[in-house]
Amino acid sequence: MNLPSPEKRMILRADHVAGAAFILFGCAIIALSGNLPVGALSMPGAGFLPMIVAVLTIVFGLALVLRASAESPPFAELDWADGKHALQVTAITAAATALYEHLGFIVTMLLTIMALLTIVERRNAVRVAIYAILIVGGTYVSFVYGLKTPLPEFGF
Amino acid sequence: MESTLFSLAHGFAIAFQPDNLWYAFLGCLVGTLVGVLPGIGPLSGISILLPVTFGLDATQAVIMLAGIYYGSQYGGSTTSILMRIPGEASSVMTCIDGNAMAKKGRAGAALCIAAVGSWVAGTFGVIALTVVAPPLATIALKFGPPEYTALLILGLIFLAYMSSSSLVRTLLMACIGLMLGMIGIDNMTGHFRYSFNLTELGDGIGIVPVAVGLFGLGEILATPSHKVIGEVIAPKFRELWPSRKEWNQSFWPIGRGTLLGFIIGIIPGSAHIISSFLSYALERRVSKNPEEFGHGAVAGVAGPESANNSASTGAFVPMLALGIPTGPIPAVLMGALMVHGVSPGPQLVTDHPDVFWGFVASMYVGNLMLLALNLPLVGLFVTVLRIPYAYLYPLIIMFCIIGVYEVNHSIVDVWIMLIMGVLGYALRKFSFDPAPLVLGLVIAPIFEQSLRQSLIMSNGNYLIFFSRPISAGLLIVCIVLLAMSAMTFILKRKDWRDKLAEAEAGEAQQ
Repeated sequence: MNLPSPEKRMILRADHVAGAAFILFGCAIIALSGNLPVGALSMPGAGFLPMIVAVLTIVFGLALVLRASAESPPFAELDWADGKHALQVTAITAAATALYEHLGFIVTMLLTIMALLTIVERRNAVRVAIYAILIVGGTYVSFVYGLKTPLPEFGF
Repeated sequence: MESTLFSLAHGFAIAFQPDNLWYAFLGCLVGTLVGVLPGIGPLSGISILLPVTFGLDATQAVIMLAGIYYGSQYGGSTTSILMRIPGEASSVMTCIDGNAMAKKGRAGAALCIAAVGSWVAGTFGVIALTVVAPPLATIALKFGPPEYTALLILGLIFLAYMSSSSLVRTLLMACIGLMLGMIGIDNMTGHFRYSFNLTELGDGIGIVPVAVGLFGLGEILATPSHKVIGEVIAPKFRELWPSRKEWNQSFWPIGRGTLLGFIIGIIPGSAHIISSFLSYALERRVSKNPEEFGHGAVAGVAGPESANNSASTGAFVPMLALGIPTGPIPAVLMGALMVHGVSPGPQLVTDHPDVFWGFVASMYVGNLMLLALNLPLVGLFVTVLRIPYAYLYPLIIMFCIIGVYEVNHSIVDVWIMLIMGVLGYALRKFSFDPAPLVLGLVIAPIFEQSLRQSLIMSNGNYLIFFSRPISAGLLIVCIVLLAMSAMTFILKRKDWRDKLAEAEAGEAQQ
């Protein structure tokens, strides 16, 4: 069996992946628009513009895939060095979002800032605690008493 | 003209009210800090602070938010000059010669020239806005749905054309924004679209969670603290005054940058970024000593800094007069006005003169405040620059959550922000600029309504867009722009947008 030479073998590029994602997104929109009436040109329905935009997304996604080899770096060369940082921050922010209405502003934000500074940034726990208390306390006073904006209180 | 002056005097009476002065000052101060701090651009700054303005009336809110916008243009230069890190994208060009001047011991002079240039440009921009916006609004009153449709299409195409990323990438982002903008109840038929039985999505996706997520959280996710390092050059107060030679060298670049910036500001696109690049290129071309550029040329600071401030003000013309945002920042400001029940557009001048003229007059005052604020407080900004980023970003995340939650007291909005943050991070990895997405989101309802109304008006005949002179003219400009882009692609020729992308990439790597 003859394998293509390494030069001729197709390289998966960043725009191949991005273009494919946009094509899938466009297809998903068309699938989700099933119950929306497209209407006629003289009376466009609720599904009229979404359908046009979904088709355009697919067309532009396809253009991205077709032009990938000329314009885009190989997918394997994308720099994901900040991926761990992004993942940790996302997880902590997601936890804060889930707890915000249950634990209230003060407890949630104290935990969030302390988690970000100790887990992600590896800072001294005592300094972090002092910093978090000062920042969260100051913000609470500014919003509740200064700007008269109520913040969520503790309570399940 | 007499009525304009009378209205402006009324505006000054509003702007000089103590409350409004306070909010203008607060906006300028926060804006300068937003510009100074690397990693927070004006868009994320405005988006994060947008909910804070909900307790204010519309005039106070727009005065404060606009102060953040033009304040950030001033502040961006401080970081560029003292650290060679652009505080925000439009200060990229200032890094080159501003920091070179600082290394030669002229940091104070560079800061002063940047501040004075920004003040001259900002003030000129406001005068031009005062003169141009009201008559433009009168003309825009003649616009019907086909004209609005054509104008919005032109806005998107122009943004794509002016963008330093490719046309396809920009239009893709705009399409995603348009899709997000169509979530919720269809205003014309009452159908629920893509709301997945979540009642919170009935009113659609708000601009705040999307903008805060894409630009605030997305930026934080992509910036680990060890990447934000930089040595701050601290100038002494007595070194702030430039020499006579430096004043002479900055005079014409400030004039040229101001004019160029305002013209570019009116055109859709990320005007303040493009204008600083073009001004730098222009100054190097007209200079008798082009070899000085890159080694501390005064014109390399004066021109771009004037241009980006003038462009920031110019961008308000189409927003206020036509109700069309020319970029993501005016789009967020428009969203802020709409939250307060004020629709920007041709009727703003007549229906809400207090908001319009109060806002315009506050910009005169704000520009003066910024000049007074930036130079004496440079020591404070240097101190702020020394706060480790590791301690700063948890604070920003906290404000993102508070800000987004407070808009509707909805935790769904905070989840949307988080999803948009991850999307923003992914888009950066794949070299997409998320700005057109925000623009698409904002214009989606106006665009859809005007398109469908046009087709209903013409009984389904799409030639209506070509049978009316204004819309036909606008669409012809769209076709010309698309043809020009296609030519560049077919001939594989580098144009100024490729050079801008290269310059941005070069600075980002340094």
